Amino acid sequence: MSAWLVRRLLWGAATVFGVLGFLFLLFFATAEPEDIARRALGEKAPPEAVAQWITSHGYDRPRVWNPAAPTDTMLFEHFRRMLAFDFGRSDADDVPIAQRLREGVGASLSLTVPLFLLGIPLALGASLFVAFFRETYIDRAGVVLAVVVMSVSILIYILAGQYLIGVLLRWFPISGFDADPAVLARFLALPVGVGLLHGLGSDLRFYRTVFVEETSRDYVRTAFAKGAGEGRVMARHVLPNAMLPILTHEVVRIPGLFTGALLLESFFGIPGLGSMTVDAIDANDFATLRVMVYVGALLFIAAQIVTDVAYTVVDPRVRLT
Amino acid sequence: MRARPVAGALAARLPAVALAALAPIAVLACGNNPYPGGDDALRVLYTPYSAPPKTLDPQVAYATVDHDVLSNVYETLLEYHYLRRPYELIPALATAVPEPRRLPDGGVAYAFTLRPGIAYGTDPCFALGTPGATSRELVASDLAFGLQRIADPAVGSPVLVTFAKIRGLAAFGERLAARRAGEPGFAALRIDEQYRRAGPVEGLRVTGPYRFEVVLDAPYPQILYWFAMPFTSPVPWEAVAWYDGEDGRPPFAEVAVGTGPFRLARYDKRSRIVLDRNPDWWGARHPEWRAPSALYPADGEPGDAARGALDPRLAGRPLPFLDRVEMRLEKESIPAFAKFVQGYYDRSAIPKESFDRTVSEGRLGPEMEARGMRLERAVRPGVYYLGFNMDDPVVGAPAGARARKLRQAMSLAVDVPEFLRVFLNRRGIPAQSPIPPGIFGYDPAYRNPYRTLDLERARALLADAGYPGGVDPASGRALRITFDTPDTTVQSRLRFQFLIDGWKQLGLDVELAATSYNQFRDKVRNGAYQLFFWGWVADYPDPENFLFLLWSEMAEAKSGGPNTANFADPRFDALFDELKDLENGPRRAARIRAALARLETERPWIELFHPEDYALVHGWLDGVKPMGLPVPVWKYYAVTPDARAVARRAWNQPVRWPAWALGGLALAGLGPAVATWRRERRA
Repeated sequence: MSAWLVRRLLWGAATVFGVLGFLFLLFFATAEPEDIARRALGEKAPPEAVAQWITSHGYDRPRVWNPAAPTDTMLFEHFRRMLAFDFGRSDADDVPIAQRLREGVGASLSLTVPLFLLGIPLALGASLFVAFFRETYIDRAGVVLAVVVMSVSILIYILAGQYLIGVLLRWFPISGFDADPAVLARFLALPVGVGLLHGLGSDLRFYRTVFVEETSRDYVRTAFAKGAGEGRVMARHVLPNAMLPILTHEVVRIPGLFTGALLLESFFGIPGLGSMTVDAIDANDFATLRVMVYVGALLFIAAQIVTDVAYTVVDPRVRLT
Repeated sequence: MRARPVAGALAARLPAVALAALAPIAVLACGNNPYPGGDDALRVLYTPYSAPPKTLDPQVAYATVDHDVLSNVYETLLEYHYLRRPYELIPALATAVPEPRRLPDGGVAYAFTLRPGIAYGTDPCFALGTPGATSRELVASDLAFGLQRIADPAVGSPVLVTFAKIRGLAAFGERLAARRAGEPGFAALRIDEQYRRAGPVEGLRVTGPYRFEVVLDAPYPQILYWFAMPFTSPVPWEAVAWYDGEDGRPPFAEVAVGTGPFRLARYDKRSRIVLDRNPDWWGARHPEWRAPSALYPADGEPGDAARGALDPRLAGRPLPFLDRVEMRLEKESIPAFAKFVQGYYDRSAIPKESFDRTVSEGRLGPEMEARGMRLERAVRPGVYYLGFNMDDPVVGAPAGARARKLRQAMSLAVDVPEFLRVFLNRRGIPAQSPIPPGIFGYDPAYRNPYRTLDLERARALLADAGYPGGVDPASGRALRITFDTPDTTVQSRLRFQFLIDGWKQLGLDVELAATSYNQFRDKVRNGAYQLFFWGWVADYPDPENFLFLLWSEMAEAKSGGPNTANFADPRFDALFDELKDLENGPRRAARIRAALARLETERPWIELFHPEDYALVHGWLDGVKPMGLPVPVWKYYAVTPDARAVARRAWNQPVRWPAWALGGLALAGLGPAVATWRRERRA
C-alpha cells in the first residue's frame, strides 16, 4: 500500500505540475500583462499608470527564459509561489487571495454540502425505486423524465425556479445570502432545490443502470431463490454491491464542493468561490484564477486517492499494490 | 401472501413520507422577503450593484461602483448643484468656489478656505496621531496629503497626468521614488514622515489650518471640476498609515475614513455593503451654516418641479434624508430586476430582457405604472462615435479632399435612429457633434448637415471623390476599408454589420476586423487601422473634456493620447487653444460653434449617439435625479418606509396551495406504484 501511495503521489505531483504549466501557457497565450493592468486600472488609465502597475505586479519580468538570471522569470515565480502556497494578492483589487479563499469557502460549502448530502440519498432512493419497478411504466417514465431533466441547461432551471418559486408563488427570496445560519436556510432553499432537481436527472439514469445491471447478477438470483423479498434484496444485496461505482461517482465530486458552483452562485447572489472564479475570468485576474485552478487540482488528486482507498474498504477483493 | 406485511408497512409509512415531503411548507410561511429582520421603521435605501468595487482609495478609484460607495463617505472641496443643468459647481468642504489668480510668472493660483469645525467620522486609526483619539478635525494639510498621494508611485493613481499641472507635484513623486529606492529604511518610515522628508510641493501651499493654495504652471480652468471628483478628497494620513493590510488590518483600499454624510458600516464587498448615516456629519451638526452641499436645493432646471424633484418635503431641507443605504451584490440583472418589481429594491436599471414589458415608446408600461413606479431618463454626458485614422493614406488627411469626401459620404450613410431602435431599445439620442446635452456648447437646435441619412448625396460625394459607385479605379473593385474593433462578442458583430450594410449601399466594401483589446491597441500604436468604434464618458462637464479628444496635442500617434483619430487640424487646434481656457459665455460659445463647424466638414468622426440611462424608481423614493457623473447623490434621496412596507406586504403574499397540490400529487402517484408492486408480487 505504501509503495502504491508513493507512486500515486508522484503521479499527482506530475499532474499538478502539468496543470500549472498548462495554465500559464493558456493564460499568457490569450492575455498580455497590459490586458490585466488595463482591466485593473480602467479604460482611461494613462500608459504611465499601466506601466507602473505591470512593474509593481511583477509582470514585466521575462516570461519563460532569462539567460542573465534564470530564476527571474514569470514562469519560475509562478511555480515557486504556487508550490510554496504563497498565493499573493488578486490582480483585480490587491486583496490577499488567501483571505478571499477563507471568506468564500464558507459560502460555497453552505450551498454545495447540502446539495451533496441531500443529493446522494435522493438519487440513490429514486434510482432504487425505479430499478425496483424495472421494466414497468414507472421505470420507463422515470428514465424519460431523467433524460429530459438532464438535457435542459441549468440556466433554465435557475430562471424558471426564480420565476416560479420567487415571483409567482413567493415562497423564497429570489436571491440573496446571509452568513447568519438562522436565516441562511431560506436563501438556500431555492438554489439547493434547483441544484438537486438538475443533478437528479443524470444521477438517476446512472444509478438506475448500475442497479439494473447488478440485479441480473447470479447472487441476486441466489438471494431470491433463498426466499429474500425484493426490498431486502435491493437494500441488503444490490446496494452494497453497487458501492464501487457509487463511490467513484460521488467522491470525485468532493473537490467541487470547495471550489463552488459557478452559475448557481452567480444567479443566487452567493458570495462563494464559484462566483469568485467567474469574476476572476471576467477581470483577467490571473493571480486569482491560478490559485483556484491549483487548489482545484490538488483537491481533485486528493479525492482520487481517497476513492481508491475507499475501494479497499467497500470491496475486500481490491488490493492497492 | 408474503408481500402483504411489506406493503402494509409501506402503506403505514405513507403519511410519514408525505409529511416529510411537505415539511418545507413550514419554511414557506416566511415568504420571499430577502431581508429577514429588516427594519421597516428606519429610512433605508435598498439598491443593487452588479460588480464588487475594485478599490475605495479615493486617489485611485475610477469605476462607477467605487465612486457610488466612496463619494458618499469622502467629501470634496466642491460639488455639483444637484438639480441645475448645465452642471454648476457649488462649494462643499470649501467655503466658496475660488477664482483663479494669475501669477506674474504665468502660473495660476486657486486659494481654498475650509469650513472650520469639520471632523472625520470615528475610526480607531486616529489613535496614531493622538493616543486614544477616535476622530479629529479636517485641516488643510489633509487636502495636500491627498493630492501628494496622486503623485506617489506606490499609490498608482490613474490621474497623475492631469494633476502634474500642479507645480512641482510630479517632481515630488520622483523624489519620493528615488529616496525609497536609494535610502535603506526610507520605505519603512511612516507615510507622513516619508512625504515630509521628500520635501514640499511648490504648488501646494498650506497657509493655515483651514487655508491652502494650489498653483498651476499654466491656466487650466477645468481643474476646479477635478476638485469635485473623489480623486481630490482629503485623506487623513493616519488612515493610510494604519490600514496597511498587515496584522489583520484591512488595506486602505478596503476602508473609507471620510468626513461625509455616510460612513462605511459594513464592507463585504462580494455580497453586501452598508452605509450608515454619519451622526457627526458637519452638515447635520451645523444646519445654521446653510451650506449649499448640506441642503436640498430649492431650485433646479425647468421641468424639475413637474417631475417632483422640488417636492416641498425636500426643497431647502437639511440633508441627508436616509438613515442607511443597503447595497446588495446582484451579478445577474434578471433576479435583481425581479426583486425590484417585488419592492425589495428601491431603484433598478431595466434589463434588456424585460425592456419591452416595462417601457414602450419611451414611457412606462401600464403594469409598472399601476405599481406607482416612475421612469427616470437621463442622457449620460458621453458620446459614442466612429473614428477615422487621419494618418491613413486612403481615409485620412494624406489623401486630402478626396478622403474628406469619402468620409463625408460614409457619414451620410449611417442611420443612427434605426441603429438605436434595433440595438438599444432607443436608449440614446443621435449625436450631431461630440458635445452631449447638459454640457456647455450643446445646442439642441444644431443639425449637422453630414449627420442625416442621405444616400443620394453620399453617392454623389463618393463619385466626386473618384470612387463612382464605391469602386476604386486603381483596382477596379469596390474600395476596401478595414473596420477595427476590440470587441469580439456576437452582439457587437451584429451592430457593426448594421453599419457595414449601410456603407455597402454606397458600394463600399468595409471589412470588420474584430480582435482582442490588446491586438487592437497594437494596431493603433502601429497606425495600422482605418476605421474604429469608440466611446467617451465625461470626467467633468466641460466641452473641453470632449473637444480635447480631437486636439492634435492629444493625438495617439504623437503623444499616445486619447485622440485616436490622430486628427490634426491647425484651425481646429487654434480654436480649441482659445476656447479651453475661456469662461462659459458668448465668446466661448462662438469658438465652440466654429470648432464644431470644422469637425462638420472634416469628419474625423462620425458621431453616433449620446447614451441614455433608463432607471425605474418606486413611488416611495423621492429626490432622485440622475447625475451621470461620479458625485455623491444618496444624501438627496428620501424614502417613505411605511408606504414601502405596505406595498411589499401587498405584493408578496405567498401562494401556498400549490405546495399542498404537489404533496397530493406525490401521494396520488405513489398509489398506482404500490398497486403495481402488489400485483406483481401476487403474480
